[in-house]
Amino acid sequence: MTAATIGQARGRPTRPRRSPWSLVGIGAFLAITWWAASREFGIGFDLVSVFTNLTRGASILAEFFPPNWAYLPRTFEPMLETFQMAVVASALGCGLALPVSFLASRVSTPNFPVLFANRTALNVVRALPDLLYALIFVAAVGIGPLPGILALIFFNIGVTAKLMSETVDGVDPGPIEAANAAGGNRTQVVRWAILPQVLPNYVAYSLYVFELNIRASAVLGIVGAGGIGNNINTARKFFQYDNLSVILIEIFVFVFVIELVSIWLRRRLV
Amino acid sequence: MIRFLNASVVYPGGVQGLKNLTLDIPDGQMMVIVGLSGAGKSTLIRAINGLVPLTSGDVLINDVSLRGASQKQLREIRSRIGMIFQTFNLVKRTTVLNNVLMGRLHDAGTGRSLVGWYRPADVEIAMQSLERVGIVEKAYVRASNLSGGQQQRVGIARALAQQPTILLADEPVASLDPPTSHVVMRDLQRINRDLGITTIINLHFLDLAKVYGERIIGLRAGELVYDGTGARADETVFRDIYGRSLTADDVMGQEAPAAIPG
Amino acid sequence: MSASPAPDPSVRPLPPARRAKLIASLALAALIVWSLVTVGIEFDRILDLPRGLAHIFNRMFLENGPEWSFFPDAVGGMVESLQIAWVGTIIGAVLSLPMGLLGAKNVTGGVGSNVMRQVLNAIRAVPEVLLAVIIFIPIVGIGGTASAYAGTLAIGVHSIGTLGKLTAEVVEGIDPGPVEAARAVGGSPAQVQRWGVLPQVMPEIVAFWLYRFEINIRASAILGVVGAGGVGEALQQAMVFGRLERAGIIIIVIIVATILIDTASAWLRRRIIEGSGARRAMGDELAEPSLAGTGAARIDTDAG
Repeated sequence: MTAATIGQARGRPTRPRRSPWSLVGIGAFLAITWWAASREFGIGFDLVSVFTNLTRGASILAEFFPPNWAYLPRTFEPMLETFQMAVVASALGCGLALPVSFLASRVSTPNFPVLFANRTALNVVRALPDLLYALIFVAAVGIGPLPGILALIFFNIGVTAKLMSETVDGVDPGPIEAANAAGGNRTQVVRWAILPQVLPNYVAYSLYVFELNIRASAVLGIVGAGGIGNNINTARKFFQYDNLSVILIEIFVFVFVIELVSIWLRRRLV
Repeated sequence: MIRFLNASVVYPGGVQGLKNLTLDIPDGQMMVIVGLSGAGKSTLIRAINGLVPLTSGDVLINDVSLRGASQKQLREIRSRIGMIFQTFNLVKRTTVLNNVLMGRLHDAGTGRSLVGWYRPADVEIAMQSLERVGIVEKAYVRASNLSGGQQQRVGIARALAQQPTILLADEPVASLDPPTSHVVMRDLQRINRDLGITTIINLHFLDLAKVYGERIIGLRAGELVYDGTGARADETVFRDIYGRSLTADDVMGQEAPAAIPG
Repeated sequence: MSASPAPDPSVRPLPPARRAKLIASLALAALIVWSLVTVGIEFDRILDLPRGLAHIFNRMFLENGPEWSFFPDAVGGMVESLQIAWVGTIIGAVLSLPMGLLGAKNVTGGVGSNVMRQVLNAIRAVPEVLLAVIIFIPIVGIGGTASAYAGTLAIGVHSIGTLGKLTAEVVEGIDPGPVEAARAVGGSPAQVQRWGVLPQVMPEIVAFWLYRFEINIRASAILGVVGAGGVGEALQQAMVFGRLERAGIIIIVIIVATILIDTASAWLRRRIIEGSGARRAMGDELAEPSLAGTGAARIDTDAG
């Protein structure tokens, strides 16, 4: 007997057919990509232009160097404003997000229709980009840091409450049962059985949102909502690339430092 | 006095938790419930404090019907019924004392419990409960740092802090090793005798049931099939309740040690 | 110890000192209050807020309604934003995979991976809008397809940074067994990656790509504000010229499209993670078991 016939005698299984869905998925993916990148239907993206543009752009890029360090002191106050916007918006936004997240979790809000309404509202709030909120608030209260802070508060609530509500969905139900069995009402159950379980996550999410806010508030000024974004607008309108590069470097350093602090804080708190 | 009057529980999905249960439990009694998994032990216990609502029939706690009770009344009733769990159900991240203070939630009110400013009287009750189970020195230790037996004792202290008239125990020793199980069972027995609290315990170790059960109830498929003393319950009785012959898993198999370990 | 019959109050422990925590809380509160006070908010403007918002909401959606006649253009703009986000995410995904692998300690070794991580951090630090407005638009210009081009590049480059970091972290958290096995049978470095590393991490990484796509949709919808293509440009024009009804319809389109994509993407992510039984990657991130299935576990630090 040869090896082949031995195998046959033992009944080798046939190779399982690859699920048609994965082929459909891959096909759809390629089709969408082609459609999105094509010139007729899409954005007209092709790799060749990337390189031709790079050479053309090299001359513009050269204008970024050397950075105009003399401009630096004039950026301090706007950067400070950026920082303060982020602090205030994170504090208020994350603070408000906590009760909102309990309203949007099936663990703490068992009433289905109410839960669904809350979740939908949260999804809508979360769907709007921060800059869009800034546009709306600038139209509502004028320019300055105020609309920026308001915009970020809404944005923060969207992000934090969504993350927190998913965390709350996953808590250990045991202490909740114990708190109910002891005669606690809904608020007490949330405060003592759920909150202690999710507090570490809450702190981590808040730090993360703060990092997001630092970056975001640097941008919001472009539509007039305060912070360094104003300077960016001015500089680009007047093609002051050397100023822009100073701002860019500054933002980068700032974000980097905040991240280091945040990592250190997270390690200390855990 | 706890009275079940033709109580039935049918879970969504059709599973029958309790079937026409009629039962009286006088004050101060120590009652053990035995039966296979799914026989209705957990359902019966949770029907007493309303965590599982009845589908038909009624359960009366000191002549107050649970079926007609509002949420507020239900919480009031529950505040006088302590419960301990197989998995202890402690809040792991916080201190032992905070866990025991959960027993004071109802009496402390929403405002105080929200900010954690309990009255000295409440803290005193919590401390005394910890002393009664013998682990007061761990009051400020994080709950997750305790052993299983210690965590269950915190659970008992939490229940005691409610100053209850009834104590429910759902498989309190199933997660513990034999010596610790005996310690916990003895604590429950002592609490029952010293404080006169009606104590109802689910057990699945039959030898434990025989030793500690002043009265034993046997459940099978949601129905009451045995009601008698621990002394009268022998192997034939248990086989009847289980509907099958007994296996080694049904007994813990270790005698209570003469000297109680620390 | 069993229950003692006579409680002895003298053995009760004292409450622990909480001084460090107190100081930290006070410092934080001080920071917040100082920021609030000095940031230059005119508090009387806050009083304007409800009226201002009500007025805007009214004009956008109620009075003359959202400008339905603009609907086709709004959808067209949103489609362009979606396309920008799609291609941008693909660029980010494709380039972040090798860079993420190189950024993992267990692939490249300490020094090399650190360098790569810093590069990725640098790329990540600049928000897409700034990338677009400061770098790419000056390079490729504005108008027609050029704007969308700039936007795509901005999103793509920024995504490389975030995705690269997340990829590196996932790779660092893998089980070394299959990698060792691949080496033991004599695989080349590329083969070791392909057969030892990638199969373990791909489901989670693909879930990141999808999550990143969700975020990039928001970014691309906005990029138009600085002229980088998509629906944002129409929105900016509408707001600036006071055509709030038009802004209203655009906002509706953005919200609906975003929610639809979010839901589809979340479903797909869950399918991928569950189908593979992928392990949760470790690291000092914010992962929670409950979030593992949604890809939101590893916090993507650029959701802005």
